[in-house]
Amino acid sequence: MQGNAACAEGALAAGCKFFGGYPITPSTEIAETMARKLPKAGGVFISMEDELASIAAVIGAAWTGVRAMTATSGPGFSLMMENIGYAAMTETPCVVVNIQRGGPSTGQPTRAAQGDMFQCRFGSHGDYSTIALTPNSVQEMFDLTVKAFDLADRFRVPTFLMSDEIVGHMRERVTIPDTVEVERSRPLAEGSLPFEAGADGVPGFAPFGSGRSVHVTGLTHDERGYPDTTDPAAHNRLVQRLVAKVESARRDIADYEVTNLDAETVFVTYGPPSRTVEQVMRDRPDDTIGHLRLRVVWPFPEFALREFPNAKVFLMPELNMGQMVREVERHVDQPVVSLPKIGGELHTPAELVRALEAHR
Amino acid sequence: MKLVIDESRCKGCNLCVLVCPYKIFQEGTELNSRGVVTPVLDRPERCTNCRLQALYGRMLCGVCHMICPDQAISWVEERPFEPHKVEVEF
Amino acid sequence: MIAPDWFRDDRLPHIYCTGCGNGTIINCTLAAVEEMGWERDETVFISGIGCSSRAPGYILTDSLHTTHGRALAFATGVKMARPDFNVVVFTGDGDLAAIGGNHFIHACRRNVDMTVVCMNNHIYGMTGGQGSPTTPPGAISSTTPYGASEPAFDLAELAVAAGANYVARWTSYHVKELTKAITAGMQTPGLAFVEARTQCPTNYGRHNKLRTVPAMVEHLRSHAILVRKYERMVAEGVPIPEGAFTVGELVRRSRPAMGVRR
Repeated sequence: MQGNAACAEGALAAGCKFFGGYPITPSTEIAETMARKLPKAGGVFISMEDELASIAAVIGAAWTGVRAMTATSGPGFSLMMENIGYAAMTETPCVVVNIQRGGPSTGQPTRAAQGDMFQCRFGSHGDYSTIALTPNSVQEMFDLTVKAFDLADRFRVPTFLMSDEIVGHMRERVTIPDTVEVERSRPLAEGSLPFEAGADGVPGFAPFGSGRSVHVTGLTHDERGYPDTTDPAAHNRLVQRLVAKVESARRDIADYEVTNLDAETVFVTYGPPSRTVEQVMRDRPDDTIGHLRLRVVWPFPEFALREFPNAKVFLMPELNMGQMVREVERHVDQPVVSLPKIGGELHTPAELVRALEAHR
Repeated sequence: MKLVIDESRCKGCNLCVLVCPYKIFQEGTELNSRGVVTPVLDRPERCTNCRLQALYGRMLCGVCHMICPDQAISWVEERPFEPHKVEVEF
Repeated sequence: MIAPDWFRDDRLPHIYCTGCGNGTIINCTLAAVEEMGWERDETVFISGIGCSSRAPGYILTDSLHTTHGRALAFATGVKMARPDFNVVVFTGDGDLAAIGGNHFIHACRRNVDMTVVCMNNHIYGMTGGQGSPTTPPGAISSTTPYGASEPAFDLAELAVAAGANYVARWTSYHVKELTKAITAGMQTPGLAFVEARTQCPTNYGRHNKLRTVPAMVEHLRSHAILVRKYERMVAEGVPIPEGAFTVGELVRRSRPAMGVRR
């Protein structure tokens, strides 16, 4: 099955009932699969007039209590930014899949890149926090999509599946379970205000029609949901909570794989470059080479780096000019070497071996 | 029924004065405690709704109530022999 | 009488200026909702950004105050996911025709079953009085200090051309007719677009020789010509006065609609 199709299957398995999208290479297959399968599953598929409208419709649908998602790529992702900020501010659970392609601008529509990693975290104006997952295989396209929906519902935050054209278009075997466990949002308790946080910093969710008459606004609001733009304390409380609810649960959300914990030279990867690293490690079994593969990239799990006590250098191959490497650099004292590669082709094992030899 | 202008909401735009078909309102002259010149009831006995809502069982006319941007006009049950004037409500 | 329990009492009096037509339009819309007998828990108000779009914040139902110009896209999502909800969209001339133009024509084309009330005050009110795509040519605003030089949109005609099932235009003077038009729109399956020309005395009136609130409302009333009369005047060759616009029900048809409750 193709990666994109597996992503759509994952969404359906997780109970997604609304897809609003606009075609863009290389994510169009997700929309096409959803167009075929979602109506049969009792959901709604709608082709919106642009990406702004797509994410807007997704947020509107999410507020009626259904799981909603959209899929796009770089140029569409940039268009969605305003409303992603809106989803973060109004604490709307939704899933946005970004099958990254060469950028900036129209770039390379049919080639892979990982150039939007900072955009998914900081793309919209203002301070907020989001969750981003990075699959590196077709099976993970399925699994991590399911996980994305659960995380979105749990933290009431727009959650991103940052894939790319390589994983989106590759074909591999997938195991699809008969049923998948889903974890929906905590409902709003009687007597609680619509934007009053629970102990985990997340308010209960009262979708439209649940009788609570919730006013949802992108303006700074107080716990009742009413706009309160001039009170510095209210804005401070709200925005700090929006950031803290995700950042404080970093350890809980984190998902990564480690190999060779005693290594001195450690590769840090996410997405397809991890497969090249795995190939390199298979070709030359060497205990001094370690690998940290992140499946959750935001909130950044800096504690994962500390799992390698003997690390002398970190090598980070990315399909961009060095984005997530900035996060690694600021959390460790050891030298961090960025191995950027743009142009759409994946790092070859030979290139990584050359880098390895140069820096060990 | 008695017509009541809620002084905590009225902002003195005088649209009610403009639209009433029976001309029961008149622009006021006194500033109230919020600094607003609210309209006064000039000839309230001509208000169809005040006179006949109880009889017909539904609102008649009511253009002032609809056009008031501040939702300041409403009707209340009238107690007998009560002087008809603008009621101050907060 | 509009039942007072439709309003969020803890937020009134609202932020609208003295004599703002938006308050009137809210009254008319709520009277129409009452006329339809809609329940609080099945009605959703959606709005964009602007003075018009502050309205849902004062109404006690589920409501969504979204980003500038995108109210119709959000509303499409809400209605398609839950066709059993009654969706009313409050929007303004800038929100709908400028930044939201694309979503406007697509919502009309799709004919999603909702009612769109556009409070057209010919200006960008909330940001202090800049010219909008519906500012009449020659009018003064803060970004058109020498008189607006661009032709203005006719929003109702746009909706007719794009395919909305019900299109009407009234002013904030014609409260009874406006309420009836909104009610008729709510009853019609498909997109109902009601353009309500309103007064912005603070930002439009003040700079365009309509300094008092009644003066501006009078201006709206005197420039409104009923559709039938307009058609007669055109057929007979009578010249149309400068600045006049048609009011009334422009179209009511039954093109296929989306999201209609079964």
